[in-house]
Amino acid sequence: MNTELRIGVFICHCGINIAGVLDIKGLCEYAKALPNVVTAQANLFTCAETGTSAIKKAVKDNNLNRVVVAACTPRTHEPLFRASCKEAGINPFLFEMVNIREHCSWVHRHNKDAAQAKAGDLIRMAVAKAAFLEPIETFKSKVEPLTLVIGSGIAGMTSALALADQGFEVILIEKEENMGGLLRHLHKIAPANVAASELIEEKIAAIKKNKRIKYFTSAILEEVTGYVGNFSVRFSCGNDSYTCKVGVIIVATGGIPLRPEGLFNYDGKNVITQSELEIKLKKRDIEAKSIVMIQCAGARIPERNYCSRICCMVAIKNCLYLKDIIKDAKIFVLFRDIQAYGVENEALLLKAREAGVRFIRYRPDTPPVVENGKVKIYHPAMGKEIFLPADLVVLSTPIVAHDDAESISRILKVPINGNKFFLEAHAKLSPLDFAFNGIYLCGNARYPATVREATCQALGAASRACITLSHDTIERVGTVASVQEELCSTCFTCIKVCPYNVPYINERGRAEIEPMQCQGCGICVAECPAEAIEFKYISDKQIMAACEALLAS
Amino acid sequence: MIVGERKPMEELLGMIEDFERILVLGCKGCVTVCCAGGPKEVKTLSTLIRMDRKQKGRKVITIEASTELQCEPESIRPILEKMANQYDVVLSMACGAGVQTVAKLFPDKLVLPALNTNFTGIAEEHGVWTEACLACGDCVLGRTAGICPVTLCAKGLLNGPCGGASEGKCEVSKDQPCAWQEIYHALKRLNRLHYLKQKPQVKNWPVHPGRVVREDLREVETT
Amino acid sequence: MDNFEPLIAVFSCHYCSYAAADLAGSSRIQYPPNIRIIKVPCTGRVSVNHILMALEDGSDGVYVAGCLKGTCHFIRGNYKAEKRVQYVKDLLSEINIEPERVQMYFMSAAEGTKFANVALEMTEAIKKIGHSPLNKSRS
Repeated sequence: MNTELRIGVFICHCGINIAGVLDIKGLCEYAKALPNVVTAQANLFTCAETGTSAIKKAVKDNNLNRVVVAACTPRTHEPLFRASCKEAGINPFLFEMVNIREHCSWVHRHNKDAAQAKAGDLIRMAVAKAAFLEPIETFKSKVEPLTLVIGSGIAGMTSALALADQGFEVILIEKEENMGGLLRHLHKIAPANVAASELIEEKIAAIKKNKRIKYFTSAILEEVTGYVGNFSVRFSCGNDSYTCKVGVIIVATGGIPLRPEGLFNYDGKNVITQSELEIKLKKRDIEAKSIVMIQCAGARIPERNYCSRICCMVAIKNCLYLKDIIKDAKIFVLFRDIQAYGVENEALLLKAREAGVRFIRYRPDTPPVVENGKVKIYHPAMGKEIFLPADLVVLSTPIVAHDDAESISRILKVPINGNKFFLEAHAKLSPLDFAFNGIYLCGNARYPATVREATCQALGAASRACITLSHDTIERVGTVASVQEELCSTCFTCIKVCPYNVPYINERGRAEIEPMQCQGCGICVAECPAEAIEFKYISDKQIMAACEALLAS
Repeated sequence: MIVGERKPMEELLGMIEDFERILVLGCKGCVTVCCAGGPKEVKTLSTLIRMDRKQKGRKVITIEASTELQCEPESIRPILEKMANQYDVVLSMACGAGVQTVAKLFPDKLVLPALNTNFTGIAEEHGVWTEACLACGDCVLGRTAGICPVTLCAKGLLNGPCGGASEGKCEVSKDQPCAWQEIYHALKRLNRLHYLKQKPQVKNWPVHPGRVVREDLREVETT
Repeated sequence: MDNFEPLIAVFSCHYCSYAAADLAGSSRIQYPPNIRIIKVPCTGRVSVNHILMALEDGSDGVYVAGCLKGTCHFIRGNYKAEKRVQYVKDLLSEINIEPERVQMYFMSAAEGTKFANVALEMTEAIKKIGHSPLNKSRS
């Protein structure tokens, strides 16, 4: 920077909030004597129109190129003063704000001398830092008004239709030959008591009819590059390859019920899963008189320690349907705990008990043993092993992630957890977003969900996507990290530490950070062993200057 | 890459005790990647040296610089020549090869190693590096499904397990898996178990110092 | 030495601890005037060298105040900061400077009282340890 530094310092009385404790005139005199300070003025209320006008006038009169305001917290008025700088012709980031109210006059009221010294120190630090402030621009990017929805189960289709209803174009890709996901194989949905096939057929018909939705089945996602508003997607359908540019992506890839090979003598004939039972129920093809259901089959065990949330209600629902179809059916449900959350589910549980379904608890260290035609279980209350007749054993297995979850996570650069379900940005604060901007998540891909929950999440994800899609351009203030390629050692550290998976290795073999994706935390800047990453917003030089100014020289 | 670790400060401070002007010389190669001797670590070490001297009331000047590749003379020369009379000693944060290159290039200056060079290794995760290659000069990885018995077997056995492993763990390094069991399972997975039955070759252990010559690449002396 | 007033540098993140400091201010909670805050977007921005710099440049103590674990606005910056603070403590021990001069604290934006208490706690702790050995001349 070869232009002379000309810093203006503006110290606020804030009525008596600051002036009641600090000697503002004294601070002005002190500031005036600091290096590179050309003018130091006081204002009664700097945030008022008179205050901001005074700043703008001072900038013009003194040809200032840096502005420091010592007043209240930047968390309230920094945007106001940055705007004033912009109006005065200075880049809004050549502005530094010092907190001498919340951090000084308000908290050191009884120690005026110390407060005065502290205010002087803080102003001195800010002036030193200001010498190293750099102009920061705003990046603008056009938003492609097109969404990619991956997966056409109930979640994917609901999202796609919701977006189309809002007037946005959608590309829906499905890896199977047919759309519909898991619901294609299910019998009925409880507590609504609706045939799954009806629900799915209705949605599929709506998708096929909708002019804004282009759907592709037997489609495999291959590559995604780019950033929010501008993703480049490549997928293939058989021998054809398609590329498109989309603004946002929704992951609705779902999950599948575990096939419990090796558990409880599973054979797919006399020992089956709940999904296999649903197929039988659909065809009304069951001859068994005595049925034993085993809950948590393959779930809540060391290799899969989560609860799949929906299997208890699936079992209870199917018990009731079995009672309908088979006269005098003897049904036992062997459980560890029952997940019947909410009023409706509890009511169904009660109904099942009243219908004569027997619920027997088992301990995880003494699981049921499936033998030919019967199930042996240690009954904790009876204190002994009992045998239950079992023409048919039904295993309630958990929903697990698809085999391709890992490869999709790598293609999209989004994280999966230890159980290979996709990991949202924050379980409570952003449950449907990925940390990586512009990609959203819903349904079983995130965690086992009921149809209602998957639908809600899908509508939520579509709603989140709409926020981006509804803008023609999106802006990103350049308070972002940027790699100085000539200093980069290609050590991959930034790639490993970024919580948002933003850095990547470019075609020159050096790390690069897409400014539209960078969240500006600075973690990579501090971690880079080659000190190759620049962060103009709070640069190393600025921090160093502030530290050096801690002590008056 | 080459993996090293900074020597304990007590040892380092002892080495530079008699010197007042210290050139702390990092390297942007391997030691940057393993976060031991890159520009950031140079800054950290220089700060620690200054802090130590200040405590003791003694003077010190630290000069911070980093070479692109400290094993390459042309990468070192411009930096050190520029600073010719500004330092009394070089405290090199490069690997052993780098330290020696500086020493050879500037025989009138004392060069001290700030790192212990540990091994040729890989990053298991950010912050954890493990030994992978001993540079034995006669690679057998082709016979062992890419698992090195020289580094990963505590006894360095070349022809099979010693039989002392327990629950798949080495009897010497009890927290390490038995390398030969891993090799067995890997070869089985690749349908190459017959490699284990092949007549073992006597390993051609290197004589130090090693030297690799490519005549086709050498400059021709034109007189 | 009885009137030793330590100088303590504080690296404070915009989303949590700086907001907590603001809340302490608007609640008029009084605390010792020994701390000087350097604001960062996330405590993950603070590197080992920054903390060492703050000590070398004259602070008697340094602390990094980040978000409560699990609530970092940038997901895991505060965990990074915690590890780096521990590393600095280890480095300081190696050159015989008291590792207690450097600390890591966690607080939410709603914990104005905690911010003030931490400022008090650290000030008292550094008073006990004494002047930084790097800055004996400062009174």
